[in-house]
Amino acid sequence: MEVFVKIERGRYVDSLETLLASSVLNEQPGIEMGCAGMATDPGKDVLESVGLLTEELKACDGSCYIIAARAESQEAFDKAVAEVEASLVPVSEDEAEQPSYPTIKAAAEGCPKANLCSIAVPGEYALGEVKKALNAGLHCVVFSNNVPLSDEREMKELAWEKGLLCMGPDCGVANINGAALVLASINNRGPFGICGASGVGIQHVAAILHEAGTGVSQTIGTGGNDLKNEVGGLMMLMGIDALEADPETKYIALIARRIGDQVLPGLLERISKCRKPVVALFMSCDRATVEGAGAIWACDLDDCAQKCLALTGQTYRLDTDGEIAARAAQAVAKLAPEQKYVRGAFSGGTFLDEAMHALIPKVGEVYSNIALRPEWQLADSQVSVKNTCIDYGEEEFTLGRPHPAIDPGVRKPAIPREAADPETAVILLDFILTPPGHVDPAGYVLGDIRTAQEQARAAGRELIFVASVLGTDADLQNVSVQRQKLADAGVLVCKTNHQAALLAGEIIRQKKERDDHGL
Amino acid sequence: MDCEKILNLFRSELVVVNVGPKLFAEALEKQGYRTVQVDWKPIAGGDREMQAILDVLGGLD
Repeated sequence: MEVFVKIERGRYVDSLETLLASSVLNEQPGIEMGCAGMATDPGKDVLESVGLLTEELKACDGSCYIIAARAESQEAFDKAVAEVEASLVPVSEDEAEQPSYPTIKAAAEGCPKANLCSIAVPGEYALGEVKKALNAGLHCVVFSNNVPLSDEREMKELAWEKGLLCMGPDCGVANINGAALVLASINNRGPFGICGASGVGIQHVAAILHEAGTGVSQTIGTGGNDLKNEVGGLMMLMGIDALEADPETKYIALIARRIGDQVLPGLLERISKCRKPVVALFMSCDRATVEGAGAIWACDLDDCAQKCLALTGQTYRLDTDGEIAARAAQAVAKLAPEQKYVRGAFSGGTFLDEAMHALIPKVGEVYSNIALRPEWQLADSQVSVKNTCIDYGEEEFTLGRPHPAIDPGVRKPAIPREAADPETAVILLDFILTPPGHVDPAGYVLGDIRTAQEQARAAGRELIFVASVLGTDADLQNVSVQRQKLADAGVLVCKTNHQAALLAGEIIRQKKERDDHGL
Repeated sequence: MDCEKILNLFRSELVVVNVGPKLFAEALEKQGYRTVQVDWKPIAGGDREMQAILDVLGGLD
């Protein structure tokens, strides 16, 4: 294998497209490892980390678009490059007629009705672009991550001063006026306004509200760092103000993972003064603290949705513990003696955390690349130990590739690897739907699931797949269709990630009981 | 805080200026929303030294 490169000076390809191009490149025959991107300093760092930074590429600057790969021949490389070029988003005739603008200011002047700016540029450039958008009078949703906290504080202070939303940076989910922004699901409109520092958390609660027949007025993603002391919770406080003032919002749900100790008192005080009912899922706070501020306490994402629905006299039917135990018993009966562990492959940290917390009481220690305890940290994320859950949204997997919610290929190697281990009993998966995401994430893995099951059967084992799909029937991929595809392939599909983890854990618990006591 | 501008947004037709990957604009258009694209490129072709100079000079726009 030899490194081949293609350099195009003066061509700019945006970051997400280069990530998708890298994914396509790596799937081509004869390519061992490839990377496409702009030859910026961070881009060169990625190339160096994967051993592709040749002297020729070192000499390139940020105005060069490069494709580099370790390939078996020049011919294989050229064919792969042709496939990459074919995969880049084609310019449609409609699009070609639409004007595009060189700057935000020019776009705002050329399109006076524009009212929101969606920004997804590399983190180091985010502050500059957000300031331009806010100064042009546009509300912002900022997907960029790796933005310094001081930059985040500065953009949010400017937004506060101007009375404009600055959702993010690192905002993965927001629904404004019915539109699903960035990686949100498409939801029904309804009386619930959600403001949260967890994108998947917002998406999850909104999806349950949708499935229960109600919906959201607006959802405001603050970005995961908003409630840190350095940022001060500015967007969470603005979000509460806005949802309280919005006549379409009757109830407010707030979601946060960790809240800075200097931010919490002010946030609780604001909640205590809110004139609308507030359901709060604050994962780092105890119940008394939340209830002391007059909010309705929620213990997890499913509970947050249920507590919201209770405000309108509704419920969302989830499996009871008894139903989960019965489902698990049917699965356990199929397992071979050596099968005893769960292997989870997740596309994001929120669901990974939630699943591990649900698994631990049933299975004990859970190893991970993002372990809940230092002693459970995996030495190598490619080598699972006993019960293991891996977050494929972590940088070690996404360096030079898009997030698994957009490119499910990031997680693709997990199924054959875990299935090949004779001690694997359950493979636990999450699927997340969003308009910019893969058109058929369940369909994408069906072949791998079937192959894994066939190989296991040939070896005298039966693999149990357990999965949940986050999304709605209004999503372009349709959550019902995705769930049915998985169910048709023999996957045990659960309504939520938490329930899927409970089922997976219960299977392992019952299996151990059977092994230990012959029950 | 004065929420009037945010409430104005909630009452208005959503029109999005997209800065960055077209994938996000296309996802909005598939949902029936209007977008306009900014052809964003790192200023000075990503050259950090030049960017620092431009920052001092007040940037490009």
